[in-house]
Amino acid sequence: MSRRTIDLNGRMVAIAEAGHGRPLVYLHGFADVHGVAGELLPFHQRLARHAKLIAPAHPGCNGSDEISPCAIDDIIFHYLELFDNELLPRFDLVGHCVGGWIAAELAARHPERVARLTLIGACGLFVPGEPTGDIFMHAQPERGTDQNSLRALLFAEPGGALAQRWFPDGRGDLAEELRRYQMLRFGSFMGFKPPYFYHRELRERLYRASMPSLVIWGAHDRMVPPAHGAVYYDALSSASSLATLNHTGHAAVLEQPDRVADLIREFHDCHPDELADMPFDPGVQS
Amino acid sequence: MSDPVQIYCWHFMSYPHLPANFDEKYDTGWVTVPNSLWDKDKSRGLYQQYIDQLVYADELGFDGMVLNEHHQNIYGLMPSPNLIAAALTQRTKRGKIVILGNLLPLHLNPLRVAEEYAMLDNMSDGRLIAGFAPGSGPETFNYNVPSAGTRSQFWEAVDFIHRAWTQPGPFTHEGRHYPMRYVNPWPQPTQTPHPPIWIPGSRSRDTLVEIAKRGYCYFLSSRSHGKETARSQQLFARILEEHGDRYKPARMGILMSAYVAETDAQAQAEAKEGVWYFLKNCLKGHLRREGRQLTFGPGIPYIAPEEFENFLKFSDPTSPLLGDAENWDDLQQSASIVVGSAETVYRRIMAILDNSKVGNLLIQFHLGNMRDELTRKSMRLFANEVAPRLRQDSARLFAREFPGVARAAEMSK
Repeated sequence: MSRRTIDLNGRMVAIAEAGHGRPLVYLHGFADVHGVAGELLPFHQRLARHAKLIAPAHPGCNGSDEISPCAIDDIIFHYLELFDNELLPRFDLVGHCVGGWIAAELAARHPERVARLTLIGACGLFVPGEPTGDIFMHAQPERGTDQNSLRALLFAEPGGALAQRWFPDGRGDLAEELRRYQMLRFGSFMGFKPPYFYHRELRERLYRASMPSLVIWGAHDRMVPPAHGAVYYDALSSASSLATLNHTGHAAVLEQPDRVADLIREFHDCHPDELADMPFDPGVQS
Repeated sequence: MSDPVQIYCWHFMSYPHLPANFDEKYDTGWVTVPNSLWDKDKSRGLYQQYIDQLVYADELGFDGMVLNEHHQNIYGLMPSPNLIAAALTQRTKRGKIVILGNLLPLHLNPLRVAEEYAMLDNMSDGRLIAGFAPGSGPETFNYNVPSAGTRSQFWEAVDFIHRAWTQPGPFTHEGRHYPMRYVNPWPQPTQTPHPPIWIPGSRSRDTLVEIAKRGYCYFLSSRSHGKETARSQQLFARILEEHGDRYKPARMGILMSAYVAETDAQAQAEAKEGVWYFLKNCLKGHLRREGRQLTFGPGIPYIAPEEFENFLKFSDPTSPLLGDAENWDDLQQSASIVVGSAETVYRRIMAILDNSKVGNLLIQFHLGNMRDELTRKSMRLFANEVAPRLRQDSARLFAREFPGVARAAEMSK
């Protein structure tokens, strides 16, 4: 497990890495590495047993510089630059929460770069009658200290030890508080203004994401309702399955680390990447 | 002699007809407070009563009337302060009309604000003080404006309006947020070069720097006035010096609330209902720990991560806010709502002036559901028995503290 910071055309990007083998890019969410945790979590380490996991921190988060403007198009371009810089022509892509939205956009816009796609509780879609939860409102504590409604948005069991560990009442660990703030700030750049964590055009564009794909959802996800998972599953032309996890909320990677990592491993095993050795010119050298 | 402190009457226009059990039943007075509580019958004539109170302030000799913009709450029923200001231009004769301010990121286009403010300056024959504010936590929810991004938008809008008032049009504005091919507002403001510009700020050094760079006035957006108020004044003075300027009292203003009656005991008895309605209902969701407070929360105000780190280090999420006051002693401590006889109110406000040396006092008289006749009586007693002494003593204080400023004023005569 390592952490490095690279200079990407004048701005710093923090990257957490683990494992060896085929590159697997992981784009994080709120209750996740970089969103609240400073380092990779058990879920990521398990995922890295069979791949080289590369987890960049979104702009403004956990040591990465902010970018401005910072809407979805800017983020996509930011990541294309990062992949070019890291000589990653083609890779497996896993995204959770807001990272899932970015992953879905990347897969629809640049399908040639994504070998296999996994979305976990991904926002990004407009689903009538099933709005994404208002994480900004829920992040405002009640009585100055009570974070129960934020925990209830993110976890199946808001009173459980795990939820209390990462989103405690009152003033918690300063570094974690600051990371949560930075993640919210990134989220507000990307997804506060309408469209609210979605991009209406995405659904109609997802047919282009023709790579094998897997959709994983917590049955009790109150941030991004499970109906969004069903729409992703329908809209992705070669989605192999929609895995709905019982007793799991939005923070699936924290709540079910082994199960989610194993589902991704099995999915990759079932869909070997036939284009893995195809030469690819990222085009930046010309 | 220096200019005395300028004393303004600020009206928030709160909603006064909430049910008696509001605090038990509802967790906030902001953003999500159900508007089914609006009583159409009881609310007839409400704006008229509030406008009449401001007209009365003008008649009593206050230096001006202050309005501001709020949305979807019971604390302030002025989504458009410009409408009230338009009414005041026709019903008042002397006082300044301070709009503090239009929330620029919520407006589609700053040209509209430049136009409306210029209209108001003409309609009032040059009595407008133009305030611009970025909006705070609740407003970002109200208009879905991502506050983290509003800072650059806000200053671009401010500079745009300043330019629209001072540079001959038509011209082209090449801004990131408001690119405009033809900027040429008719009318132009009456005042030259433009109406005074006031900008509210609280915790952000960056905001003070931007105000100092442009030569504007700083309004401290805090309701409590302990040591922090003096510290803010000192910080602003230092920043002004860094920018080759010098602090003088006219450059800064503060907000407080007051109720004056014949004796301390009578003042407390008369103010009690309105003050506690204000603290427990109007501040719920804003300056009260109970319920969900939207004003300072994470990711909501437009403060940079470095500043938020300091905020985390030096603030305590369990410390009581103004609305958590439980009795008159708590309230006394906050130096926010001053209630008492003319003598008491004079002494307490003069102590704040001694300490903070600000030249603009923006005073809220109507609190919560305070009755019209009590509000007017308190305003009258303040105007007749408190304001003259504050003016006299503050002029002496400022002359002593800022002798250079006094000389400059005399030289210009």
